[in-house]
Amino acid sequence: MWRELWTLAARAARGSCRLCTRQSSGAPAFGSGATIFALSSGQGRCGIAVIRTSGPASSHALQSLTAPRDLPPARSASLRLLSDPHTGEPLDRALVLWFPGPQSFTGEDCVEFHVHGGPAVVSGVLQALGSVPGLRPAEAGEFTRRAFAHGKLSLTEVEGLADLIHAETEAQRRQALRQLDGELGQLCHSWAETLTKASALAHVEAYIDFGEDDNLEEGVLEQADSQVQGLVVSLDAHLRDARRGQRLRSGAHVVVTGPPNAGKSSLVNLLSQKPVSIVSPEPGTTRDVLEIPVDLAGFPALLSDTAGLREGVGPVEQEGVRRARERLEQADLILAVLDASDLASPSSCSFLDTVVALLGAQSQRLLLVLNKSDLLPSAGLGPGPNLPPHLLLSCLTREGLDGLLEALKKELAVVCGDPSTGPPLLTRARHRHHLQGCLDALGHYKQTRDLALAAEALRIARRHLTHLTGGGGTEEVLDIIFRDFCVGK
Amino acid sequence: MFSFRRCGHRVAISLTKQYLPFAGLSRDSAAPCSPHFDVVVVGGGHAGTEAAAAAARCGSRTLLLTHRVDTIGEARQMSCNPSFGGIGKGHLMREVDALDGLCSRICDQSGVHYKVLNRRKGPAVWGLRAQIDRKLYKQNMQKEILNTPLLTVREGAVEDLILAEPEPEHTGKCRVSGVVLVDGSTVYAESVILTTGTFLRGMIVIGLEMHPAGRLGDQPSMGLAQTLERLGFVVGRLKTGTPPRIAKETINFSILNKQTPDNPSIPFSFVNETVWIKPEDQLPCYLTHTNPRVDKIVLENLHLNSHVKETTRGPRYCPSIESKVLRFPNRVHQVWLEPEGMDSDLIYPQGLSVTLPAELQEKMIMCIRGLENAKMTQPGYGVQYDYLDPRQITPSLETHLVQRLFFAGQINGTTGYEEAAAQGVIAGINASLRVSRKPPFIVSRTEGYIGVLIDDLTTLGTCEPYRMFTSRVEFRLSLRPDNADSRLTFRGYKEAGCVSQQRYERASWMKSSLEEGISVLKSIEFSSSKWKKLIPQASISTARSLPVRALDVLKYEEVDMELLAKAIPESLKKYTKCRELAERLKIEATYESVVIHQLQEIKEVQRDEALQLPKDLDYLTIRDVSLSHEVREKLHFSRPQTIGAASRIPGVTPAAIINLLRFVKTTQQRQGAMNKLPQTDEYLRDTDKLQEREL
Repeated sequence: MWRELWTLAARAARGSCRLCTRQSSGAPAFGSGATIFALSSGQGRCGIAVIRTSGPASSHALQSLTAPRDLPPARSASLRLLSDPHTGEPLDRALVLWFPGPQSFTGEDCVEFHVHGGPAVVSGVLQALGSVPGLRPAEAGEFTRRAFAHGKLSLTEVEGLADLIHAETEAQRRQALRQLDGELGQLCHSWAETLTKASALAHVEAYIDFGEDDNLEEGVLEQADSQVQGLVVSLDAHLRDARRGQRLRSGAHVVVTGPPNAGKSSLVNLLSQKPVSIVSPEPGTTRDVLEIPVDLAGFPALLSDTAGLREGVGPVEQEGVRRARERLEQADLILAVLDASDLASPSSCSFLDTVVALLGAQSQRLLLVLNKSDLLPSAGLGPGPNLPPHLLLSCLTREGLDGLLEALKKELAVVCGDPSTGPPLLTRARHRHHLQGCLDALGHYKQTRDLALAAEALRIARRHLTHLTGGGGTEEVLDIIFRDFCVGK
Repeated sequence: MFSFRRCGHRVAISLTKQYLPFAGLSRDSAAPCSPHFDVVVVGGGHAGTEAAAAAARCGSRTLLLTHRVDTIGEARQMSCNPSFGGIGKGHLMREVDALDGLCSRICDQSGVHYKVLNRRKGPAVWGLRAQIDRKLYKQNMQKEILNTPLLTVREGAVEDLILAEPEPEHTGKCRVSGVVLVDGSTVYAESVILTTGTFLRGMIVIGLEMHPAGRLGDQPSMGLAQTLERLGFVVGRLKTGTPPRIAKETINFSILNKQTPDNPSIPFSFVNETVWIKPEDQLPCYLTHTNPRVDKIVLENLHLNSHVKETTRGPRYCPSIESKVLRFPNRVHQVWLEPEGMDSDLIYPQGLSVTLPAELQEKMIMCIRGLENAKMTQPGYGVQYDYLDPRQITPSLETHLVQRLFFAGQINGTTGYEEAAAQGVIAGINASLRVSRKPPFIVSRTEGYIGVLIDDLTTLGTCEPYRMFTSRVEFRLSLRPDNADSRLTFRGYKEAGCVSQQRYERASWMKSSLEEGISVLKSIEFSSSKWKKLIPQASISTARSLPVRALDVLKYEEVDMELLAKAIPESLKKYTKCRELAERLKIEATYESVVIHQLQEIKEVQRDEALQLPKDLDYLTIRDVSLSHEVREKLHFSRPQTIGAASRIPGVTPAAIINLLRFVKTTQQRQGAMNKLPQTDEYLRDTDKLQEREL
């Protein structure tokens, strides 16, 4: 813990000590230092968000995101379409400002992107910037430090800087701790352990410093190799699963399903606060999949209304059911709706037995909603004893809506990551950046035959991971070497 | 420094014999009979000889005080192994040599078995090493020391320091102005360097016996130790050990693994093309192993072994056989049998450091393969000694407490000849620069292993004997043995004046040849298929359609300059004439792309290093900087000289760093208003130049 704090502190204090650009080929030549980027406006939802870069690769970053356009005139706002430099996917139409150094906030080349403030846009732009060679996320207070170093801030202006950095570092620390509770945190931790503690780096370092003279056990390097290989596989798998980021950008897929006439369309209309779907007492009213982007408890979501699941009706409705099932497979979160007053009916029972049970078995995220609670006897007794966990709701009276929104918020927070706590957007871009950096470095490790270069690749990989988890000084490596090996004359 | 062999039969040395007549003339007005020197170095071990020679090279009239002139270059003559260099340590030697230090050149004249370690692991971590003939080394070192201009050597043991009022413009509670010898005579000096090694309250331990390591009846270090303690220096205690010695003719080498030296031998020094001895005339080393019977003897006799039980910290990487057995049970450990010299009949069993009672040591030795009939000539023993917490010295190795007093070598908690020599050179240079009122000569972590060594010591301290490893070095791929001259020789020549004209010219020639060679290699471009035809041995990938530079072809493991020059003789032949040049071109090519990126990171670190903290800052009371009490104490103790160093001290928070930064800027502005030339910017420009030099 202390070590972690210190590492964060040291990093924030020293600015960058990383080499994330090292692995990238074709990066522009850097005059001095790396180019940093960060969301400069506040976290959370807002009208306009400002993302800044500072450093020699700023112009390169701007051109990468606005290709094929030239650099805009210096210090004047221009409207540009931003798109992902790799996929070409449009991200936002934004105001961009180009400040060639030294006449800029930090004294270095700077770019400002004034984008629309939605979390999806911000996250998209940050991720796009992170993928530009030569760019890395800024450390706490790094912009201000650079400005300070270049004599751009007067002393009175820096009065509050220490407090600011203290606060940011604290936030980072808390964030690091919070992440460590999560699934990703645990993964990062185990990866970092593999790399440092469980030996790969320590073993290679030991092999360099002691391999010749001391009898290290056989196969030290082979062991490191296989650990690195394992790490590559799991990092790769994780990075390929970019769905979380995707969800946040385009919204989580929330699919409403249930037997016919359970009130699915009513729920969709209720949640979207718009009469999107036609509602009627007649079963099978909804036949196609209806999609509507909504803000669910603060999360962007794509809400899909689907046909009620039943067999043996006309071909049009059958196609609707097929599409509904297909959509269920892609869902990030399923809202299964049943008629609370009609739980004993064959359609309800078969839905519970087949669909809900099956989805549960596939560990799909699912909320079971019992609609029409207004029709239940007022005694407030549960609709039945053998039901899985569920929520009661009346689309008509809106009773239970708050409870549903609360539950949705929890589920979506897991699915998308929770943007209301800490700076998660930055986090996500940083995660990706460091994980990709780590993976690239491990690739170099495997390719190189020069052991000094190989060890350097592992050092870079470890530095990327320790930026996510903290810890990892030279002493730590030496401690492991002396613990694991009997070395020395 | 202290010589165990003479324990008991040598009494006080109080003579002060003068070896060179021209120096040592008094010019001190206060004490007309006492000689006066610019720099006085106390101790004739590895740190002391380097320090004295470096100070003299920088133009200071220097006195080297040693117990006996004939033990110069014989530091701890029994206690450690007869080899120089190795992984990390070889790097230090190259850097000492780049500053025109002595040990590399002396080793090129005194080795009996030259071998580069880590040959298969990449040139950044090659470890030049040699088994040294102790007698030859001593002879050559003495010849060198006694013939160094401006350097006087005298026998004499130092009893105390002469202290004077501090210079008001510097920090420190007093200033050293000379030393008092054990006979009561005094020597005045502008700077004093202490390199007293393990002499401070050294204790020798064998079995349950313990006795002082200094010579009986002659305990000069007691007085010195007391003075240092009185002045307020924080003292710690460390331990180390040495193996027994074995009579060569009693070993059955025929059944052991033989290790032959390299052919050709690679010299340590940049100025030598070759070493003094042909590979076929060199001596082999032999390898044997411990076995369960050795473990049994150790484990059954732990009660007879007080050294092992002690809590004093010993080096983890130089463990005694006892600690190996205890920490890694049921394993077989290597024992290298190393020659002590050409005509020595002793063998040093490296890896068998032991403090058991002598008769049990002999019994243990005879359990080992090849040593069944071996005769032990001297038992191994442990040493416990005082060291001074190195956070009490600056990166120039001057103490915070006493102005113009420098510490170098084991006294600072390091172990090893090379670590001592590296500190010696830096202390010698800085003691001399201090006399001539020039700015100190500091090697940064980004410039050399010497910088890493000194920065680790002065900012982090150490609680075990500190040894150099390559894994301690962040910029390992840039700070290589091959390019130490391009990193340090030019600075040494210009800033310190410690480098000879001849060496400077050689380094300049090498630098320009390398630059020229690299630009030629970059300019030659062919398609990959043409390269494949030219150099069929190389596994050049033809997937790329872009033209490939000769420099990129040179990166392939199987390609060297020789091969490349055969393919394109007209433009490359001339670069193969000098072995070193050809090899360095190959190394530059290997690391080209990584080093470019590392330079960027180095620049960021150097930016922080360039921001100097005022030396006279009183962290405990200063009001202009808002700092927590804990941070104040840490800064007060270590007294970091730059923002960079401050940020490496554990517990110093980023907020504190920013506050310090603000303070530095204000101070600079005030100073800048006064003299218009801020020092930090000057330093920045210099480091920029340095990097350009580094290809």
